[in-house]
Amino acid sequence: MALEARHLSVRRGEGLALEDISFCLEPGTLIALVGPNGAGKSTLLQAIEGQIPLLSGELLLDGAVLTPRLARRQLALMPQRGEIAWHFPISVRELVGLGRLMAARPGCCAVEAALQRVGIDALASRRLDQLSGGQQQRALLARLLVQPASVLLLDEPCAAIDPPSRTQLLQVMGQLRDAGFTLLVSSHDWGHDLDAYDRVLVIDRKLLADGPPASVRHSLGDLRLGNHCCG
Amino acid sequence: MTATWWMLPLALALLSGLLCPLAGTLLLVQGRLFQANLISHAVLPGLAVAVALGLDPGLGGVVSGVAGALLAERFSRPASSGGRGDEAVLNTVLAGFLGLGVLLIPLLRIRVNLEAVLFGDLLAAGAPDLLRTGLALLAVLALLGFRYRQLVFLGVDPLGAASSGLAVGRLRLLLTFVTALTVVSAMTAVGVVLVIALMGAPALLALEGAISLRQALLRAALIGALLAGCGFVLAIQPAINLPPGPLIGVLSLLLLPLVLHRRGSAR
Repeated sequence: MALEARHLSVRRGEGLALEDISFCLEPGTLIALVGPNGAGKSTLLQAIEGQIPLLSGELLLDGAVLTPRLARRQLALMPQRGEIAWHFPISVRELVGLGRLMAARPGCCAVEAALQRVGIDALASRRLDQLSGGQQQRALLARLLVQPASVLLLDEPCAAIDPPSRTQLLQVMGQLRDAGFTLLVSSHDWGHDLDAYDRVLVIDRKLLADGPPASVRHSLGDLRLGNHCCG
Repeated sequence: MTATWWMLPLALALLSGLLCPLAGTLLLVQGRLFQANLISHAVLPGLAVAVALGLDPGLGGVVSGVAGALLAERFSRPASSGGRGDEAVLNTVLAGFLGLGVLLIPLLRIRVNLEAVLFGDLLAAGAPDLLRTGLALLAVLALLGFRYRQLVFLGVDPLGAASSGLAVGRLRLLLTFVTALTVVSAMTAVGVVLVIALMGAPALLALEGAISLRQALLRAALIGALLAGCGFVLAIQPAINLPPGPLIGVLSLLLLPLVLHRRGSAR
């Protein structure tokens, strides 16, 4: 499904966290959302998912206004690592099954199929905190897959995991893109991993650049964005 | 005194031993065990008012306990703005409600055995106490039966639960209500202060290595029943002859080295 943002502005405290952001995400694309700390990446994802109200602008999904109800059915957000209680007594299988709890209709995958899709089906019976950081991220991704959503919003899934795990996670995201999902992935990474994406949106409160990785990197080279980023 | 005088207090100890760790485990995994501490102190004003009005003290205690928890919630910062609560607010409400309860006793000219309320008087247990505890246990089991997966979702990913449309506020209110019921019903067995030990210590041990919340709850209930049962049986031995409530509180300390041991063996 195509997700379109038109002139989005979001208020945070006294000022604007996002100002006049517009873009259109085509179905079956893998898009990186990059920017320095405090640029508004998480705010944008949360605003798209309906957690934060818009000050102005609108969101459309396949041309229809994105209501909170529609957002819950068609969009799914994978939160940052810090939002999850990793030591909660829960198995990987049970965590993934939670994706179905509030869904009005089943997603594309059953729990076992979702685990297989992200490559951790052998770990289904393990307790969540016994997994490595990369495996934990894949478990969260599997939870999105059992939801009926076709647009996946991932908030820094590659943060705080080792490079091999990051590569594996990027491969899984690429496979999901090939299967028709639209993935908008926030990242601090301004390195070579960016080439795994079809398109890059760069924001720092406003939209600074939008295009393929190479051209965005080239056009923003003078801004030395990498100096602001952790990746 | 009949030869079976100990049966009712023992039954109450066992029931409280099952009940308190269930509620405690639910609170602990939500990062809200502080709420049990707060409620255990906040029940006192309601209890005093209920006694003055000739009502069931437990009823007043539940109302007052929930009111204290809601007041603290109202003045705490939201989790999104840093931390899962505001300790200063909690302690202020806790002290304020406890002070109010103590002041109400002379102001309302009522007689309340404060020592029994705070530290329990298991040997004086009656059938109404058993009934109250049984009802509280039913309430906890009903919450688990109807809202188990929602509680798991809320515990592991609070923001995700809220954004997926889960009625987080309502679920937390239910948990608060059940906690107040638990605290009030455990008054006779271990007192409202010592109830914290029975809610926290078994839960801490039970959570170590548990593969699911269900398993942790089951373990916690068994540990709690064992702790309370042993505490009571020990307390009534002629050679020991100590108040059961405080003894159960002291015995719960023994669980802490076991927690460390389990953590060590899990590494």
